[in-house]
Amino acid sequence: MYALGLCARWLHLASSILLVGAATTIALAGRSDRPTARRWEHRVLLGSRGLALAALGSGLIVLGLQTALFEGRGGAALEAGSIARVLIETQAGRVWLVRFGLLAILAAFLWSRLHVESSLDWRAARAQAMLLGAAALVPAAAAGHAAAVEPETARAIALDGLHVLGAGVWVGGLLPLALLLWTAAAEPGADARPYAVLAARRFSRLALGVVLVLVATGTLMAIANVGNVAGLVGTAYGRLLLAKLGLVVAALALAAVNRAVHLGRLAGDGPTVGRPAMRRLATFLVGEGLIALAVLAIVATMTVTPPARHEAPTWPFSVRLSFAALEGAPAASARVLIGSQIAVLGLVGLAAGLAIRGRRLPLVAGALVVLGAGVGLALPPLAVDAYPTTYLRPSVPYHAASIASGATLYREHCAACHGAGGAGDAPAGLRPARPPADLRGPHTALHTAGDLFWWLTNGIPEAGMPAFGRELGEEQRWDLVNFLRALSSGYSARGMRPAIEPDRPWLVAPDFTFAVGPTPPRSLREYRGRRTVLLVLYELARARPRLAEIAGRDGTLALLGVEVIAVPVDAAPDAIKRIGPEPRVLFSVVTEGAQAIVTAYHLLAASPHVEFLIDRQGYIRAVTRGSGAAGDLDKTIAEVQRLNEERTAASAPEEHVH
Amino acid sequence: MRAWKVVVLLNLALVVGVGWGYVFWGLRAARLDRELALARAAAASGVEREWVVAGVVRAVLPELDVLVITHGEIAGLMAPMTMGFRAASPKIHEGISIGDEVRFTLRGVPPNVVVTAIEKTK
Repeated sequence: MYALGLCARWLHLASSILLVGAATTIALAGRSDRPTARRWEHRVLLGSRGLALAALGSGLIVLGLQTALFEGRGGAALEAGSIARVLIETQAGRVWLVRFGLLAILAAFLWSRLHVESSLDWRAARAQAMLLGAAALVPAAAAGHAAAVEPETARAIALDGLHVLGAGVWVGGLLPLALLLWTAAAEPGADARPYAVLAARRFSRLALGVVLVLVATGTLMAIANVGNVAGLVGTAYGRLLLAKLGLVVAALALAAVNRAVHLGRLAGDGPTVGRPAMRRLATFLVGEGLIALAVLAIVATMTVTPPARHEAPTWPFSVRLSFAALEGAPAASARVLIGSQIAVLGLVGLAAGLAIRGRRLPLVAGALVVLGAGVGLALPPLAVDAYPTTYLRPSVPYHAASIASGATLYREHCAACHGAGGAGDAPAGLRPARPPADLRGPHTALHTAGDLFWWLTNGIPEAGMPAFGRELGEEQRWDLVNFLRALSSGYSARGMRPAIEPDRPWLVAPDFTFAVGPTPPRSLREYRGRRTVLLVLYELARARPRLAEIAGRDGTLALLGVEVIAVPVDAAPDAIKRIGPEPRVLFSVVTEGAQAIVTAYHLLAASPHVEFLIDRQGYIRAVTRGSGAAGDLDKTIAEVQRLNEERTAASAPEEHVH
Repeated sequence: MRAWKVVVLLNLALVVGVGWGYVFWGLRAARLDRELALARAAAASGVEREWVVAGVVRAVLPELDVLVITHGEIAGLMAPMTMGFRAASPKIHEGISIGDEVRFTLRGVPPNVVVTAIEKTK
């Protein structure tokens, strides 16, 4: 079933694309009265009729299989009722409906006998075929992966539509043009030779522009669907894209030869230069066309493969390159700087070598050597160890509840060696082969969450760190990773002051979920983009003055867009009752979920009374440590005003690490 | 028929077809929008309604007969928030104190609603 679906998709895509190309090529070549040219045009028209039928037929098969998939049973593929439901009720179905309609009109148009008397008739008919073909092809973009890109869905669909249209013009034009050149190169086709040469030149000019459009749109789409290098080499979708790129480069190499060598010779002396060049060009075009059809087969597979963005990448190499490796290593930084300068020099030499005529070979070879030396010098210091899970995104979000269970797991499994505070200073007893790492330091921040996950799962045998893959479930290991992230963030946040650093958000606030009494639970994420949050971790016995102070300015804070969330550090479920009527506190006092919040946020800043100012993007911007005595709320309000005045809104932190 | 005439007719048919469909659906959507707005207005005005809501008491102001309650969403009336509600009579808030988790009944013609009953849930 999968193979049938792929074949049908490929056939549908290829025929839809070839239809556009055939119509474009005829329109490009123009009208001619030469018998051979007329014959070629007629043959392309016959081919187009076949293609239109193939597109309709294979499209029906794809639609049937999609219906079976939607309905969850194979029989639905053949039921008119189910298919009608998919056609009307799903976006993909409505796109199919439009495209089927246009394809049917196109087929009828191609099959009808048109009276072509003047060149006006001819132009109108060809333009119409082109228009219908393009109109039937482009909406496919609205039913593919592009329609699932968020945000900027419309932009993604437009890019995808432009990409397939470009592919139609380029790929679809190759085979009809090859046919024309073959026919013209043969003895009886001599009358059409000037026509064929003209067509080839026009196609070449158009194709150059179209390829640039394809590269630009393709790159932008790859960024949207794949995102990064890990997605490219570590997922099925990314590898398919690499295979596609390889084939495209091969096709472009053929195209470059055609343009540089064959095209110029077409008009040369017929028997000795022109006709052999024509045949060779035709052969190369067929080669390009076959590669393009293979590319379309890969594309058909990609349409049924989840985009890399939504997959967990498996890093295939044992090293990766990271600038974080240069932190605190000035010698390595200098080496990278010098090496990259040498590499740039090599690139410049390469460009010069390709641009200058004569003495090209030694110049290019020299440039390549310089480039290689530069790269060889610059890259090794950047290499750090990598593991299959290095770019894996945590499947458990950076949430206070996860951090809190990570803290418990840490006490049970890790503290014996790494120490209660994570400093790697366990008193005695266990003596691993290498001193345990200081988990508080920026050291932890330099590794990806996936690295930590790998070490937790498989251990570090040479250092004596045991593997926990069997003992702890996947979720528990991610809890530990989240805990370590919070621990290391807390170390980095030691210097955080009650005053914000304008335009410098960096400390991500762990998400948390809380409830006030029997009201439905809310989470920090819900305030994102809407409110600034003042998170107050208080100890009631000492914090009454401060709570009274905040309660007294409740209205001002609300007007400034601040949501106050107070969390009792003892996590008392009757916290509201305990505060009582004095001071009259009306802001949120957490009665459920307090324990996890306290555990997680005390890792970031430990103090009997501590207040976090969390901006609208979800970053902690200021930390006030105190005892709970009344301070100067005006200062806090001034900081909120500074936050409100910030013009550059930082992008919201990803829910996942790195 | 001459080819150019066929092309013109075909495109004309396409444009008319798409245009007609657009106008048809557009008119229908506009009618549905109007009906929805009417239905909403009817639901929102003039009719006395009643809600039963869960919340936690944050303050009791006996001199005003007002209870300040942190509550969840009240369907069709307001989002979750902390808000003062007038009690229908002083009797209602007898025995209710700060921190009590309660279920209370709101009744009235929006936006004029009062608490007509309240009971502790914990």
